[in-house]
Amino acid sequence: MRQILSQREVRADRWRYPEEAGGGPQVHTLAGLTAAVGAATPVGGELGVCLGPTDDVALLAPHIDRLALVVIHFEASGDGRGYTQGQLLRQRHGYQGELRAAGAIRRDHLFLLARCGFDAFDFDSREDPQAALAHLERYSVAYQKAAGTLVRPRQRP
Amino acid sequence: MAAVYQYDEIDRTFVNERVAEFRDQTRRFLAGELSEEEFRPLRLRNGLYIQTHAPMLRVAIPYGLLNTRQLRMLAHIATHYDRGFGHFSTRQNIQFNWPKLEQVPDILAELATVEMHAIQTSGNCIRNVTSDHLAGVAADELEDPRPWCELIRQWSTLHPEFNYLPRKFKIAVTGASADRAASAVHDVGLHLVRGPDGTVGFEVLAGGGLGRMPVIGKVIREWLPQGELLAYLEAILRVYNRYGRRDNIHRARIKVLVKSLGVDEFTRQVDAEYLANRAVAPQVADAAMARLRASFAPPAYQQLADHDPTAGAGAPFVAWYRHNTRAHKVSGYRVVFVSLKKHGEAPGDMSAAQMEALAGLADHYSFGEVRVTHDQNLLLADVPQHALRELHAALAPLGLATPNIGTLTDMICCPGLDFCSLANAGSIGIAKQIHERFDDLDYLYDLGEIQVKMSGCMNACGHHHVGHIGILGVDKRGEEWYQITLGGSATGEVSLGEVIGPAVARHEVAATLARIVELYLERRESEAETFLQAVRRLGIAPFKERAYAADTVAA
Repeated sequence: MRQILSQREVRADRWRYPEEAGGGPQVHTLAGLTAAVGAATPVGGELGVCLGPTDDVALLAPHIDRLALVVIHFEASGDGRGYTQGQLLRQRHGYQGELRAAGAIRRDHLFLLARCGFDAFDFDSREDPQAALAHLERYSVAYQKAAGTLVRPRQRP
Repeated sequence: MAAVYQYDEIDRTFVNERVAEFRDQTRRFLAGELSEEEFRPLRLRNGLYIQTHAPMLRVAIPYGLLNTRQLRMLAHIATHYDRGFGHFSTRQNIQFNWPKLEQVPDILAELATVEMHAIQTSGNCIRNVTSDHLAGVAADELEDPRPWCELIRQWSTLHPEFNYLPRKFKIAVTGASADRAASAVHDVGLHLVRGPDGTVGFEVLAGGGLGRMPVIGKVIREWLPQGELLAYLEAILRVYNRYGRRDNIHRARIKVLVKSLGVDEFTRQVDAEYLANRAVAPQVADAAMARLRASFAPPAYQQLADHDPTAGAGAPFVAWYRHNTRAHKVSGYRVVFVSLKKHGEAPGDMSAAQMEALAGLADHYSFGEVRVTHDQNLLLADVPQHALRELHAALAPLGLATPNIGTLTDMICCPGLDFCSLANAGSIGIAKQIHERFDDLDYLYDLGEIQVKMSGCMNACGHHHVGHIGILGVDKRGEEWYQITLGGSATGEVSLGEVIGPAVARHEVAATLARIVELYLERRESEAETFLQAVRRLGIAPFKERAYAADTVAA
């Protein structure tokens, strides 16, 4: 089972990604989300969605309070669009659920992702999530305000 | 005390943590835990390239300002980790061409002890902010741009959202009526200007740049209140980060986005983002700006009267005074250019011994501060006029007083084939050829102001598009050829040079330039008409005709 770093703990993932079979709540694609919302979802059923780098997070706005998981998929480590998606989800759309970065990410990206509001990380398969955890503390200071609350670097007033 | 920003505890902690991070990343790379592909963007964000011969380390000199402690550290690094010299770049930084990869974390740790770093001097992120090399001393200045540069340096340093942009992003700030920072050919150019009510704010340009597709930036905001600067920059960067192209490295700069959307639509999107983000956008606090402004307070000038130091002086001093010094806004002082364009040396190169010696002179004559110009020279900004003859006598034996500032041999030049893995051309060799051809100072002075800018490849590190004479190295079936452009300028009325015709062979470059300037001397209306003015008046046709007339000047 997939191990993720979530809220500073390494744990087994209980969600199923769009292509995956098996138990646990389903993560939908953006296209699949509308259908899932429209269907008679069981009361208390959890809603999750996975976005690619070109997907507009504003499309999630109507469902924002119902979403329990948003996965942003990083196709390449140099593709920084996900950082903006994270900031917008947290700051503009008031998203409160789990915000997970998945794909081509390693411990070297952890601090900035956390600053942009991500609180869960499904790393590249070569990364050790337990070893990566310490990198949330890589910087104790920062120059900018940002959406994230998982790390709280000191800043000038 | 030099007017260089002093780190506080936050800045010091940050650079030390950055060094620790890069030390760990280098260790993991050498241990095989990070692939070359994964390590590359990490090392680039710490200024480290892998070049033709060895790694190249580009150290940030924020907006070109150094105190002498920092200059001495650069000399130390050149001596202990390199081959005894450094290369000042057109973006006011310094490059070391021979460091060892495993020693780079140590170099960065040494730099941190003098409040320096190499952060974001490369990579697809916000690069070192550049400015006017005459900031704070020019008479035509409305407001000192340096506090704003430092604000932008801090805001852009490891910005959580904008560290993985589609491509590199360069910002220049000026506060004077003459644009000495080439701001119109930056991704964003900021001009301190008075608004309708007389308050000073920013005119904002976007989408300028050189490289393969040279473009002059467009005004997207005529006047922005100062307190809104970071909020507006965030809006620009966010639109770019979301919508800039990532599928083709040559189409990824913001200029391509501005062009494809059209400037009106781009501006509309930036304005919409700016408004939508108001609730959380960063505001510039008055207290923060007051602290930054205090960092750049004027030095303790003496009360001195202006006088003419050329009275009774010898010809070498008079030539140096005329060409290598400029007016200062405070009476009794003069701005001194330290030429790094000596015949036989690569433009912008400086030895460790020269750095050490210049640091001593700067301590003695110019409040312990040295600046790097966009033209790859250094500058002592605050020299008392009564000390100029002594200073000249000290600079001359160091090889730092070549009286050629603003002349044809004050060329700017990228490192070219000698160091860079991208280059098609040995630009340093061409610089030597030009120096040999134009070794008569009186002839150079007669030609007046001519900016020659040379790039070894299409990436245009030598800014050839905006040279009065531009030279671009091109590869033709494995041979070096050189394309010549005329009429470019990055200052005043900004323009891009026009290609005069087919590229010329390597051994023909200086001779071709000689024919071009000969025509200028024949056709200028008077000595008051500069080369650039003559090119603009005459058009390139007569120059083109002369350039390829091989018999006019014996080659």
